[in-house]
Amino acid sequence: MFIDPITGNFYGYIPFGDIVFYLTDFSVIAFLVALFFTLVVYLTKPEKQLEAQINDFDKFNIVSLKELKIRRLMAIICGISTAFAMLTGDLFDYALFLAVIGISNIGIVSAVKKEWVLNAAYQYGIIAMISSLPLFGAAGLILAKTGTLSILELSKTAHDIFYQKIIYAVGMVGETGIAPFYAAKAEMFKAPGAPYILMIHLSSLLIIIRTAEILLSIH
Amino acid sequence: MDAILSIKYIIGALSYTLYAFIIGGLLLGFHRKIVARVQSRPGPPIIQYLIHTFKFYIKEITFPITAGNPLYLFVALMDIMVWMSALFVGVVFESSLLILIGLYVLQKIVEHGCGLSSGSPYGKLGGVRSVFSAAAEVPLFAVVGIIYVITHSLMIGDIINYQAINGPILFKLPFAAFAFFILLVSKAPKSPFGIVKDKCIVSGYLTEHFGTLESIVLISEAVAWFVLLWLFIALFIGPVLISSPILTLIGMVVLTFIISMICAITPLLTPNHSVMLQILIASLTVIDLLYRVIH
Repeated sequence: MFIDPITGNFYGYIPFGDIVFYLTDFSVIAFLVALFFTLVVYLTKPEKQLEAQINDFDKFNIVSLKELKIRRLMAIICGISTAFAMLTGDLFDYALFLAVIGISNIGIVSAVKKEWVLNAAYQYGIIAMISSLPLFGAAGLILAKTGTLSILELSKTAHDIFYQKIIYAVGMVGETGIAPFYAAKAEMFKAPGAPYILMIHLSSLLIIIRTAEILLSIH
Repeated sequence: MDAILSIKYIIGALSYTLYAFIIGGLLLGFHRKIVARVQSRPGPPIIQYLIHTFKFYIKEITFPITAGNPLYLFVALMDIMVWMSALFVGVVFESSLLILIGLYVLQKIVEHGCGLSSGSPYGKLGGVRSVFSAAAEVPLFAVVGIIYVITHSLMIGDIINYQAINGPILFKLPFAAFAFFILLVSKAPKSPFGIVKDKCIVSGYLTEHFGTLESIVLISEAVAWFVLLWLFIALFIGPVLISSPILTLIGMVVLTFIISMICAITPLLTPNHSVMLQILIASLTVIDLLYRVIH
C-alpha cells in the first residue's frame, strides 16, 4: 500500500456506504485529537475578555448565553466534521466535510454582534464559497480522469493527476482561509469566545495536514 | 510478566522524557548565556532555565477571574502532551514525519489557546500574533514534500536509512534545510521572529499563565527544543550524527550556538516584517518543491 510510508501503519478500512473510512497511525491520532478538542470546547465556558476604556474603568466583554449556545453548536459541528475528515477515504466526502467546516466556521463568528467581526466573517464566507468551485471541480476532474474517488484506489497506481491535485489544493487553501487569505480570517480570531475561535484554528491546521497527506498519497 | 514489562516501559519513557527535558533546558540556558555574552553581559548560569522551571513548579496555582476554564488549564497540559508525543513518535519510534508535523501545529493551538483563554489583552495579542506567524509553518509542509520527492517516504526511520546509503540530505536539499533552520530560529527565545512573546505585550500568550502552569509550559518548551534539534539533525545530517548520542549532543550544542549568535545580533522584527519574511521563505520553498515535482 502506497499510504504506509506517508502516514504510518495501515490498520484497515471501515466500509460505511460510499464513505469509506480508513485507519492509519496519522488518521487515528488526528481523529482523536479533533474529538477530544470538541469535548473540551463543549465543557469550556467562554473567557471574559478585558477591554481598556478611555476615561473610564476597563470593561469585560462577556459572551451572552444566547450567543454561546449557537456558537457552541457550530463549534461542535466543526469539530465532528474535522474528526471525520481525518478518517474519510473518499475525495468527494472529504470536500464535503471541508465545506461543512467552512460553513460552521462562519457560523461560529457570525453570532458575534460586532461589526468588524461580521465583516471578517463575510469576507471569509465569500472566499470559502468561491473556493468550493476548485475544490469540488478538482474532485470531479479526478473522477473523470481516473474513474474513482477512493484515496486507497488512487494511491495504488499512477494516474498523472498533478494539475488536478494543484486545483484541489487551491480549493482547500481558500476553504480553510489559510495564507494568503489570512486578511479575511485574521480579524475573526480577535472575537471573544476562546474555545469556539480555537476550533476554527484547529480545524484549519488539521485539514492542511490531512490535505498534504492526501495529495502525497494519490498520484 | 506483562505487568512488569509495562512498568519497565513506563519508567523507560519517563526517564527519556526527563533526559530530553534536562538536555533541552541546559541548551536553552546555554542559548541565554551566549546571547548575554555577545551583548557584553555576564548572563545567568547555564542551569538557570532548570532552576526557573523548578521554582515555578512549587508555586501555587491561581486562576484569573477573566479565564475561561477548563481550557485555560488544559492548554498548558496539552503543551506537554504535544511535545512528549512528539518525542516518542519522532525520536523513539522514528514514525511518520506527518504525525510529527501534526503535533507541531498543535503547538500553535496551545499558543493561541493560552492567549485567548486567559481573557487578558496581552495574551489575546500574543495569541493572534501566533496565528499570523503560522506562515512559519508553510515552509515545513514544503520541506516535507521536498523530502518525500527525494526519499519516497515520510517515515523518519526510512529517511535516516536513505541517508545511510546516499549521504546527508543537507547537501542535496540545501534550501529545504535552510527553511527548516529558519523554523528552528523562529522557535528560539529572543528570536528575530519571536513576535508572540514580544516584550511590548508583556510575555505574549504566556502573560496570564504563571506558577505551576508556566513551569509546565517551560518543561514542554525544553522538550520541544530537544525534539526540533534532533529532528533537524536526523532529517538533514542523518546517521553520521544521529547514530551516536554523544555526536547528537555535540550537533545540538553547535546548532544552539549558531542560533544563539543569530538571535543575539538581530533585532526583533515587527509583526509585519516577520510575517512577510516568513512568507517569502515559504514561497521560495514551495517553488523549490514544484520545481522538483515537475522535473
